Amino acid sequence: MAWDEFLRFLRGPMFYAAILFFLGGMFFRLARVTFLGWQRDRVPSKGSKIGGVFITYLKGILILPFIPWVRMTFNKNALTYIAGGFFHLSLFAIIFFGAPHMLVWKSILGFGWPTLPAPYIDWFAAIGIVSLIALLINRLVHPVLKKITRTADWFNWTIVFLPFVTGYVMSRHLWFEYQVAFSLHMIAVDLLLIWIPLSRISHFMLYFFSRTIHGAQFGKRAVTP
Amino acid sequence: MAEKTIYEHLKDEGVSRREFMKFCGLLAGLMGVEFSPPVKALAAVKAPDPAQAVATALKSKPKLPIIWLELQDCAGCTEAISRSWSPSLVNLVLNKIALDYQETLMAAAGFQAEEAKKQTMKKYHGKYVLVVEGSPTIGEDGIYCTIGGRSNMELLKEAAEGAAAIIATGNCAAFGGIPKANPNPTMAKGVWEVITDKPVLNIPGCPAIPEVTTGTIVYFLVMGKLPQMDSLNRPMTFYGHTIHDHCLRRPFYDAGKFADSFDDDGALAGHCLYKLGCKGPTTYNACSSLKWYQGLSFPVQSNHPCLACSEPNFWDGGGFYQGQSAPLNRPDVAAFGIAAGAGAALGLAMAGANAVNKKRAEHKSKSEE
Repeated sequence: MAWDEFLRFLRGPMFYAAILFFLGGMFFRLARVTFLGWQRDRVPSKGSKIGGVFITYLKGILILPFIPWVRMTFNKNALTYIAGGFFHLSLFAIIFFGAPHMLVWKSILGFGWPTLPAPYIDWFAAIGIVSLIALLINRLVHPVLKKITRTADWFNWTIVFLPFVTGYVMSRHLWFEYQVAFSLHMIAVDLLLIWIPLSRISHFMLYFFSRTIHGAQFGKRAVTP
Repeated sequence: MAEKTIYEHLKDEGVSRREFMKFCGLLAGLMGVEFSPPVKALAAVKAPDPAQAVATALKSKPKLPIIWLELQDCAGCTEAISRSWSPSLVNLVLNKIALDYQETLMAAAGFQAEEAKKQTMKKYHGKYVLVVEGSPTIGEDGIYCTIGGRSNMELLKEAAEGAAAIIATGNCAAFGGIPKANPNPTMAKGVWEVITDKPVLNIPGCPAIPEVTTGTIVYFLVMGKLPQMDSLNRPMTFYGHTIHDHCLRRPFYDAGKFADSFDDDGALAGHCLYKLGCKGPTTYNACSSLKWYQGLSFPVQSNHPCLACSEPNFWDGGGFYQGQSAPLNRPDVAAFGIAAGAGAALGLAMAGANAVNKKRAEHKSKSEE
């Protein structure tokens, strides 16, 4: 099969199937986790639940990442913290502010937004790739991490790493014909979309869910139900 | 009396030797003769002169007859040829060297034209070049395209049988083009899909670049064989690079400077048209290097994104103004709702089953106590 045909399949029916599986899978995870031990809150609040949610996001996203030394996570695992932070920052920048990705959002949502110049995105991609490699090496040599790493974790790493590398190769026009590089990137992206609901990468959504719940509980200033 | 050579034909038409050598040089450059295996082999012995190689061939070889069939087409490729570098290059090649049967351009019509074609096919059996413009259609035994009461498939097979080489010019002939667009009611196909016993060289484009068609015909004339082809049977000389590779807006792409609409500052400054749907990065053609109308311009230079008109299925390859990275199929609200609903229902069912199991286990442990 010609690469052109293959690319059309990956951008067309395969992407369609992957995105529907991703949506269905994430709603499945959300419904399951929501009703897992769901109980009515019969204890009156002493504080503000919404305030608690607000504070947890303010601290967790806008303040603490910039003064990491106050946290034990940073002091005990500086590499994980820094490389993980840079990885997430680069991922966010590439997905939302890379021109080709914005065009994907635009085609789905119906509206677009300004994007960053391509060289900036290239740098973010390079930072993301280096961070992921650092995290992999850390996982390979760290005595505790080695013991708790399972097959699924290696798979998670690979599935996240591939879109970064194939995307970089494609945007820099390295080694392959553009259609081949584009196809490889689409394979990686379609795989990622399918794998996310089945794996711990679903934390991209469940993180916000659990942070909201915990923030509300802290803000409530009373016993939990 | 021996058959006149091409050079003798041209001399009779009033072409001077100086003009002839310029013409040979131009053709040699256009075809990339310098890089063809025979000339490369010659280079090992002595310094090659590509223009001389072309001139020698044209001086020694007889006129090459061409039969040009039009099937499901708009005659756009013919129109492009008739408006190209005329009267210098294409005109010389097609009108004075070669073209024997071309329905749009020939003066003869009806039975007279068909008779001329039949005579050419008979006289030059096994020697003529068949150029096809427009897509063959196999639906209902080819009844959707008939000429002189005969189906297109019948005409194509008849002409292909005695051809020394077959060239499919334009996207319709090469890959089915617009007639093949979904839902393709006539079952249009590319020529190479229906003629499988002979190599078919594809020159896709909508229309095909006239100099590419001409250059390929002359290559066959000079070298006696079709040029090196890629996996889609396109001549490597002209389809070896993408539009993006040689695009004059490429530096803006590399610098991340894009036009966001057709009338913004970016568009006025000549920035890259990628965000406006340009398909240049995946489109193989010579537009950005050869350009059109004596090198005057090409679509991207004229502020319009590349439509990928030389690629297979270009009519169904996503919106022309939709970014190339955008998915070809995207879920609508209904599909989104069904997927989300199914996922949520399954999650709820599993949570319910878990709750029931939990209660049962609690009940069991209590009763055991």
